[in-house]
Amino acid sequence: MPAKVVGEEKVKKSPSFVKPWLGLKYLFKKPVTIKIPEEKIEPAPKYRGFHTLDWKKCVGCNFCGQICPARAIEMTWIEVDGKMEKRPHPKIDYGRCTFCQFCVDVCPTGALGFIESYILTTTGDEEELQLYDWVPIHPDKFKEIQDQYRDWRFPVEKIEVNEETREVTYYLRNGETFKFKIVGYGIRPPKPPTKPAPKKEEKKDSKQ
Amino acid sequence: MFGTFLKALLIILYATFVGFMFMGIIRKVTARIHRRIGPPIYQPIIDTIKFLSKKENITHGIIYDFGIIFALGATILALMFIPLGSISIMRAYGDLILITFLLEIPMLGIMFAAMSSGNPYAGIGAQRALLTLLAIQVPLGFAIVALAEFYGTFSTYEIVMAQQTSGWSIFHLPLLLAAIAYDIVLQAMFGKEPFDIMIAPGEISLGPMVEFGGKHMGILQIQHAMGLFAETLFFSNIFLGGAVITTFSSPILNTLATLAVLLVKQLAVLLIAIFVSTIFPRFTIDQAAKFYWKWPTIIAALGAILASL
Repeated sequence: MPAKVVGEEKVKKSPSFVKPWLGLKYLFKKPVTIKIPEEKIEPAPKYRGFHTLDWKKCVGCNFCGQICPARAIEMTWIEVDGKMEKRPHPKIDYGRCTFCQFCVDVCPTGALGFIESYILTTTGDEEELQLYDWVPIHPDKFKEIQDQYRDWRFPVEKIEVNEETREVTYYLRNGETFKFKIVGYGIRPPKPPTKPAPKKEEKKDSKQ
Repeated sequence: MFGTFLKALLIILYATFVGFMFMGIIRKVTARIHRRIGPPIYQPIIDTIKFLSKKENITHGIIYDFGIIFALGATILALMFIPLGSISIMRAYGDLILITFLLEIPMLGIMFAAMSSGNPYAGIGAQRALLTLLAIQVPLGFAIVALAEFYGTFSTYEIVMAQQTSGWSIFHLPLLLAAIAYDIVLQAMFGKEPFDIMIAPGEISLGPMVEFGGKHMGILQIQHAMGLFAETLFFSNIFLGGAVITTFSSPILNTLATLAVLLVKQLAVLLIAIFVSTIFPRFTIDQAAKFYWKWPTIIAALGAILASL
């Protein structure tokens, strides 16, 4: 069967000096503009924004790290209140993340999720750039902050990393702080939690 | 002497301010036609202040600096000759040919500066601008001839006074034809869309303006604002009857009313230019030259012939 082709005389228009003037018809219409600082737009529900992580559900399988097309996910060993988590948790680098949310689809336990917030702006300062590299917080917490402000911004104002003690502090927007320790990276656990911490870290670093 | 100087300064200040407002109006109306809100009307003033306060200035030699001053000076000189209602400095010498000539000088000044920068884009832009300049001469000349033929004088002020008694120029058929031709030419003199060949944003990256920045660009903005004012003022003087209002007893009120009437007429000229520029795409340079030597020339020549009959 031959392809159906519309005749040229049906699609070709003759040039006109009068018709362009119809373009002026919007002169007195209301502009279709959203004045962003004054007006707000709601992102679609399930808009692919930042990640959330339920730390109790995460089993550290590293499926997310394997599927991530940008390799933005690194497994991190975390110590909260002096107790190390049994499994590593993903740390996401938003400098690389493409927000494809494959990691959320592949997560077998549903620990990794995402939320509609999508705005994260910083200056170029080294301190502020820490914001782009985080272990996501619990979905309920994130939801609470998002509902409180509804400006779709990153829920953490500042991330403070102490290089010596490897202690990380999240200063959330609603004034709360959230502290934990990063004791190691990778899938294999850092050497059994013994007292001399700095030595052990150096060893592990050299192994990777 | 001092009074004349003060008057000249006032005219320059008024022309600059109104010219910047015109630039703002251009941006605002264009935005409305695109269904946007657009910048505030005083935006060009802010832009110019920013340009003038830049720390770094690149210069390519004396001609590069001089060309811009030359353009600004020519515009100011043209402004002095055009009658602004009852106030003007040298309206007695405000010759049609002289003013038309002076209104085209700025383009030459910008050309000097652009060519001396040695940028190939500026070179192409200059070439296109000179061709545009060449193309608009023919209809422009015929329009001027038609006016001079009809009123029997070259003096702009006398033409304005003659229109006080015999009605606006555009109500006479030969001069209406000349006005139409002149209005098409005005589009190229403003550097507006169908004939903005010399600047051509997006085609040759800004043409002659490509190398300007900082204070040079700021002065060029001021020149553009004054040029807009001068060109619209000249058009409304010779075709829309100018304005010399003597209804009030107080001279100050008369002057203010004159300025207001002139402003309305200038705005009308400007709005037509904006409308045409928003709805028609840019011509290529050969199309523009062909166009100017065809339709506006025929119309203006017809007007000139009718006027001399």
